[in-house]
Amino acid sequence: MSIAWNDNSPIYRQLKERVVGMMLDGALKPGDALPSVRQIAAEYQLNPITVSRAYQELVDDALVEKRRGLGMYVTDGAPEKLLASERERFLSDEWPAMVERIRQLGLNIDQLLSAASNGGGK
Amino acid sequence: MNSVISAKGLTKRYGKQVAVDNVSFEIPAGRIIGLIGPNGSGKTTALKAILGLAPFEGELKVLGFDPSTQRDELMQQVCFIADVAILPRWLKVKDAVDFVAGVHPKFDRAKAERYLAHTKLKPGMKVKEMSKGMIVQLHLALVMAIDAKLLVLDEPTLGLDIMFRKQFYQNLLEDYFDEDKTIIVTTHQVEEIEHILSDLMFIQDGKIILSASMDEVGERFAEVMVNADKADAARALNPIDERQVFGKSVMLFDGVPRAQLATLGETRNVGIADLFVAKMKGTYA
Repeated sequence: MSIAWNDNSPIYRQLKERVVGMMLDGALKPGDALPSVRQIAAEYQLNPITVSRAYQELVDDALVEKRRGLGMYVTDGAPEKLLASERERFLSDEWPAMVERIRQLGLNIDQLLSAASNGGGK
Repeated sequence: MNSVISAKGLTKRYGKQVAVDNVSFEIPAGRIIGLIGPNGSGKTTALKAILGLAPFEGELKVLGFDPSTQRDELMQQVCFIADVAILPRWLKVKDAVDFVAGVHPKFDRAKAERYLAHTKLKPGMKVKEMSKGMIVQLHLALVMAIDAKLLVLDEPTLGLDIMFRKQFYQNLLEDYFDEDKTIIVTTHQVEEIEHILSDLMFIQDGKIILSASMDEVGERFAEVMVNADKADAARALNPIDERQVFGKSVMLFDGVPRAQLATLGETRNVGIADLFVAKMKGTYA
């Protein structure tokens, strides 16, 4: 398996976001163990330092905790924390870009709402 | 002295031809260094000097040893896989294992056998019956079972299919590499090892023209899709490469702050393959 990394941000950050994504959609739940640095490095052909750095950021964000001798685990509060920070990120990063795109395409609010209620949104 | 390799003014001449030209560098432990250069740029010559396989001028210390006079001590700590198959054709897998077990004090036979068990290699199989990929697997089994501090790989995956290549690096990362070890690798398949590397060295005509950690590479180099109206302003910042895509100029910059580049157009990180091509322009001219 391999991931197509994009050129816009450092790999460790993309790896971190991947783990965050798995937490958001419930593939990783509180108390779940993360694969070891070595496993991830081998699987995705990354330098172990890159993987460690991604994990360290998750620890810094209190989404993951180190259990001595056992490895990395998703913390209990991770889902709530993530939801709050991801909402903020959406509003500050993604939404302005989306608004710009909507403006570019000349879509109005009624069109957007009706598309969303037709199954466009969940 | 914590450097695994320390070179000062390293030079190697073949007659009048200078293969390695007054090169200096330091390599600390726990790194994976990619030594990348066109054919004939001096990669293999540099590696030979490091391994004590060729005399050289200048100062060179590998794990604190002088490769030209302390080769025996050095070889206890160093392993390498060369780009040319050097195993005799009549050699059987089990003989190869016996041989290395006999000559190398740090060889872990159980580890080699464990690794071989995951391959299609059988103890009685001879080298001449093996595919290229299998020979590399045998090499790897022998080399990874030696608890060496430095592993030198000269085009280790040359001629291997993509599965073998991926498997090769996967095994290295899973079963060999840790923070006390150091790997130097040369390869032309730069994209495939890009993210494994911690450091990058470009060599051209026997000189090191770029030596940086991958972090530094990410900070220093950026590609910008420059809008036509900003092209002159961008060129004033001395891009090291420029090409045209869809009527826009894609320029590669070295050491210009991202924030400044962002005013010229969309920026992106540059892959080492693109960086290599830009840096080596004119090599064959």
